[in-house]
Amino acid sequence: MAKLPVTEEELIEKYGPHLNVAPPGGWNAGLDIDREVKTHCCFCGQQCGIKLKVKDEQVVGFEPWYEFPFNQGKLCPKGVKRYLQGAHPDRLLDPLERDPSAEGGFKVTTWDSALDRVVAEIRRIQAEYGNDSFAILSGVSITNEKSYLMGKFARLGVQTANLDYNGRLCMVSAGVANKKALGMDRAPNPWSDIPLADVVFVAGSNVAECSPITTSYIWRARDRGAKLIVADPRVTPLARTADVFLGLKPGTDSALMGTILHVLIENDWLDHDFINAHTVDFDSAAEAVRTYTPEWGSQVCGVPKERIIEAARLWGTSATGMLLHARGIEHHTKGVENVLSCINLGLATGKYGKPGCGVSTITGQGNGQGGREQGHKCDQLPGNRDIANPEHREYIASVWGCDESEIPGKGMSAQEIMDAINDGEIKGLLSICFNPVVSLPDSNHTAEALSRLEFYTAIDFFMSESAQFCDVVLPGTLQEEDEGTTTSVEGRAIKINQAIAPPGNARKDWEIIIDIAERLGRGKYFQFDDTEDIFNEMRVASRGGTADYYGMTWDRIEDEFGIFWPCPEEGHPGTPRLYEGGRFAHSDGKARFHGVAYRDPAEVIDDEYPIWLTTGRVVSQYLSGTQTRRIGPLVEQYPEPLCEMHPRLAAQLGVESGDIVNVSSRRGSMSLPARVVESIRPDTVFIPYHWPGAQAANQLTNRALDPLSKIPEYKVSAVRVEKGDGHRKIYDRRVTTLQEKGQSL
Amino acid sequence: MNPLVQGKMFVIDQSRCIGCEACVQACEECGTHRGQSLIHLEFVDRGVSTQTAPMVCMHCEDPTCANVCPADAIKQNEDGVVQSALKPRCIGCSNCVNACPFGVPKYFALPDQMMKCDMCYDRTSVGLAPMCASVCPSQALWYGTPMDYNETRRGELIHEYRFGNQVVPTKVATVVDDRTFGPIDVMGEPGRDRWQDDPFGLEEMT
Amino acid sequence: MVIRTGTGGIDVRASIWGLVAVMITLVGVYFGSGSLRWFDAALAGYLIGVLLAVWATVYRYLVWIQRPPTAVLNRRGWESFRSKGKVGRNVGGLVGLVFTNILAQGFIRRRSVARWAAHQLVFWGCILAAAVTFPLTFGWLHFESVGQSGDQYKAYLFGIGTVAFPAESLIGFVMFHTLNIAAFLVIGGVLVFLYRRLRDPGALAVERATDFLPLVGLFAVSITGLFLTASSLWLEGRYYSFLTDLHALTVILGLLYIPFGKLFHIFQRPANLGVHYYRRAGAEGEQQLCRVCEQPWASKMQVDDLKFVLPQVGFDYSDGSGGNWQDTCPRCRRTSIALAQTNRVGGFG
Ligand code: SF4
Ligand code: SF4
Ligand code: SF4
Repeated sequence: MAKLPVTEEELIEKYGPHLNVAPPGGWNAGLDIDREVKTHCCFCGQQCGIKLKVKDEQVVGFEPWYEFPFNQGKLCPKGVKRYLQGAHPDRLLDPLERDPSAEGGFKVTTWDSALDRVVAEIRRIQAEYGNDSFAILSGVSITNEKSYLMGKFARLGVQTANLDYNGRLCMVSAGVANKKALGMDRAPNPWSDIPLADVVFVAGSNVAECSPITTSYIWRARDRGAKLIVADPRVTPLARTADVFLGLKPGTDSALMGTILHVLIENDWLDHDFINAHTVDFDSAAEAVRTYTPEWGSQVCGVPKERIIEAARLWGTSATGMLLHARGIEHHTKGVENVLSCINLGLATGKYGKPGCGVSTITGQGNGQGGREQGHKCDQLPGNRDIANPEHREYIASVWGCDESEIPGKGMSAQEIMDAINDGEIKGLLSICFNPVVSLPDSNHTAEALSRLEFYTAIDFFMSESAQFCDVVLPGTLQEEDEGTTTSVEGRAIKINQAIAPPGNARKDWEIIIDIAERLGRGKYFQFDDTEDIFNEMRVASRGGTADYYGMTWDRIEDEFGIFWPCPEEGHPGTPRLYEGGRFAHSDGKARFHGVAYRDPAEVIDDEYPIWLTTGRVVSQYLSGTQTRRIGPLVEQYPEPLCEMHPRLAAQLGVESGDIVNVSSRRGSMSLPARVVESIRPDTVFIPYHWPGAQAANQLTNRALDPLSKIPEYKVSAVRVEKGDGHRKIYDRRVTTLQEKGQSL
Repeated sequence: MNPLVQGKMFVIDQSRCIGCEACVQACEECGTHRGQSLIHLEFVDRGVSTQTAPMVCMHCEDPTCANVCPADAIKQNEDGVVQSALKPRCIGCSNCVNACPFGVPKYFALPDQMMKCDMCYDRTSVGLAPMCASVCPSQALWYGTPMDYNETRRGELIHEYRFGNQVVPTKVATVVDDRTFGPIDVMGEPGRDRWQDDPFGLEEMT
Repeated sequence: MVIRTGTGGIDVRASIWGLVAVMITLVGVYFGSGSLRWFDAALAGYLIGVLLAVWATVYRYLVWIQRPPTAVLNRRGWESFRSKGKVGRNVGGLVGLVFTNILAQGFIRRRSVARWAAHQLVFWGCILAAAVTFPLTFGWLHFESVGQSGDQYKAYLFGIGTVAFPAESLIGFVMFHTLNIAAFLVIGGVLVFLYRRLRDPGALAVERATDFLPLVGLFAVSITGLFLTASSLWLEGRYYSFLTDLHALTVILGLLYIPFGKLFHIFQRPANLGVHYYRRAGAEGEQQLCRVCEQPWASKMQVDDLKFVLPQVGFDYSDGSGGNWQDTCPRCRRTSIALAQTNRVGGFG
């Protein structure tokens, strides 16, 4: 029974989040250090280069790494303060076993007894309910090597089909759409293409807060005279400077893109040569938007029609252009359709395969791009191979040295696994790098589901809100405690270097996994001496797949500041820009248009729940906050979720900034302070999602999934907002003056 | 080596700021004042927009702060960088805090001293970019040579502000479209109509 | 450097006051030493050093205190101190302030304990040394042996006998080794300062060669003094006269450095007491409202003082129609600047 062992308060008391506010030894500790380690930030898909300062085997600070080409020293606040996750009082140092009588609900145990228990439970549950009743949830803040290992571990170690990953909550809609339309799931461009664009169209991406470094690329384009179009229900910090701002209603993205396509066709702002030579099915796309006049689009999206026409004109008449999109259009039951509607715009105007041209997703999670290629997605094998494709299975079986039949088939996706746990179909769970209680939609449902598990174990470095439900918690590694590779937003494989050893009795994640596999009697498939061994097997496994890493070596990756896949053979320079010359990855070399007809989101507002809710991130927090909610200076920046609403709505409710409001949906409700701002649509409220429990925005969100990508619809729910009791002082100015740090100087 | 010798300069273009606070977080990592962030950043008016205003010391040619300091605690280096208060001298009177036209110096009550941005002198004096300009994702804060600037950025550099009758020449540059209009006139610059006044077109739509 | 010092050339008034101070010192020496009866001619060199230092310090102090911002603060500090109905409280508070700010130097401790410890060591070492050497040099203090055996000593202050003590006693030891104790305190402090400074690249960058001078000076004075003791105790007085000259030289140079270098803060720092009263009077008085956000942000007295001082040092922040930039709070200064700059860049919005 995996209920919380003790009260939430006791758990927090013992395991945090507590705040680490200063480097080890304090601010006065002096700046002489033992070494600087060139590595990357762990807090988003851009994977900025950074140098970590190490003293006495602790990370004590950072130094900009100016030579790394992607960010050239630039960092967002998370990158600057990432080093404070080290030497943290909350760090798990020993394997823990649930024990309600122990302080904090867990007692320290040995690795032997912890792993024996894990293995015994896997065996018991699988014997009793079948192999697939034990599921594995992985994450994409871990390296390619670990992602690869998790895929192999699930299939050959635990022999379950039910493995999925939290990339499912990230950019899968883009992945599916890219595959359908272009034949390959990767951002088509290196970021160096952005400055070459004459128009940059940002759709559903709060670039300034979620991928801050991309801001500088966009400004470089604008320094050359490029125009900026932003589509977002909020005037995000980047949108504030846009040339054309399309403040659309949540969930109407494909209507907007359809209308723009309509205007392009109407004005013949099309690249007919490109359409004829390199694409198919333009007619079906055109047919689908035949009635999507600016008037119609303006009506559906709630955007002045002149602005839509102007956006279309800029996009259609500029020689080069980049469309960047992110979760804002992907976290929908129509996520795939939304992305396809963007791709249509790129194809119709010939904006592919040329400098400064492309339609690209901005991956959110640390290894969001790489993680999804190495085969820990429920439907994929390494190299972006299809688990249902007999040839692909055959090849991977040959690399793994197993029989093809030993590789299980397609399993459930992340949200489906959680639903199956709730339904009692899945009884056991092992998770790594995943905090589903905070990050999955409808968190009450998630907590309920987790408490139905017969056995749950997590590999984690802090006691995440999900780990609290565990029977056994295995202390793994922070990013700086192991080495490996990740693949950044651009499709650039880069090297993560180890700065320090795991503290205490914590172990490297891959060692834990291999240890479990050995104890399961499957050790023969996991003969790795170090991480580089795993990489070398991984690149062979990826060989011939779309995400081909075969030509890469760790040395090359470091020397060349990363290599873009595909890199099919040794000496191959890598492929920064895809689809050069209009050659797409489908077997006929052509891209596919898709007819995208607009449909409503899964839930629409009504009299009972009359306000749209959309969720998102703030710049100082990362995902479920397991790490960033423990870093004092980041918490100080945005300490608690606030409900953004327009003054018109606030006036209707009689609410002022700081007043507590109750927000409820069909799934749950929460109370939080309002922040009254003119930067959001009057019919919409926004709540950031990084917090757990009563502060979790995901209490309200909807579990409805995109039928193809299985991404949940985080970005649209219907809610009711009421004035609640109380008022909280919120800081509408940054509190950077007169912060008195007393002792320190 | 000093910044003048290398020909590098600091440019601030507030209009680009995305309010991410990377500069604020990085400032306190600077060796000359570890643990204290000296850069300023605030929302102009969060109720109205997401615009934020970063501010570093402009390193005035003739620093108001030093001129009103009764204790001679603020010194200007040969290269034009105006240093933070000399610790033995500063008597914490806050004259500089109140008089600096750019609102830069900060008074800290516990050490009873003023501290201010010194352009990360530990870094710039050995040829490294200051912390804030190193990390700034929008490059609202920028550090480099004039040649770099002209090659990569639009807008013209200007080194002068006007506050009422007072023109203040600064070492730090800022950006305008056309410098022939003269110094940035802080008290007299007329506003303009922009879509930001009605970002969602509420007027047009109803 | 473009810091204006208010006047160019020699300030005649200040130099006259410097001479007056020198005269007063001489008169003090004459009468304090029983018409030079107890004055030790061997210390004449030191006396000359002191007199030069007195002149230069007074001169520099007066030049400093006449700078417009200093003059205003000086006046305001005293006014606030004497303000009606507050004198009692202010005098009472003075003792505490002197203790915490001047003697205990809590403000430094709050910056860094190590720095504070170092500063305290140097501070008390110097006080101790001054307390002995100045009276000795001026002939205000001398020792005479009393009793038959000659192992009893008596200290005379202004010719008046005070305690008598046996040379071998603890008190005797302390009496004769005060300067050595002071030297150890100072050297300890100097070493901590140096260690911190050399280890901290930040401090290193902003400090210049001249910042090391006082540390080197203090070290030289202390170490040569210790050499003297070492020579007489263990080397049977070898090199004694050479060391005496060396020590005298370091002390005299040190004295002369005081008014010009970093150590001048010894005389400036007490102005911080005035600031306390000024600040308190400011907080109790009318507040300045910001001309933009209309919120109170500083003492109106201080803002008015600045508006009075600024024109004297060459600034005019008025807008010619009754407004003054100086009435803007720092936050609104920064946001107004951002808005004004944004207005000058088009291309978006
Ligand atoms: S979170 Fe992303 S943008 Fe920020 S420093 Fe890390 S990698 Fe760069
Ligand atoms: S900007 Fe302010 S603090 Fe900086 S030099 Fe000028 S007056 Fe002094
Ligand atoms: S780092 Fe740059 S963009 Fe971010 S708040 Fe500072 S000035 Fe603004």
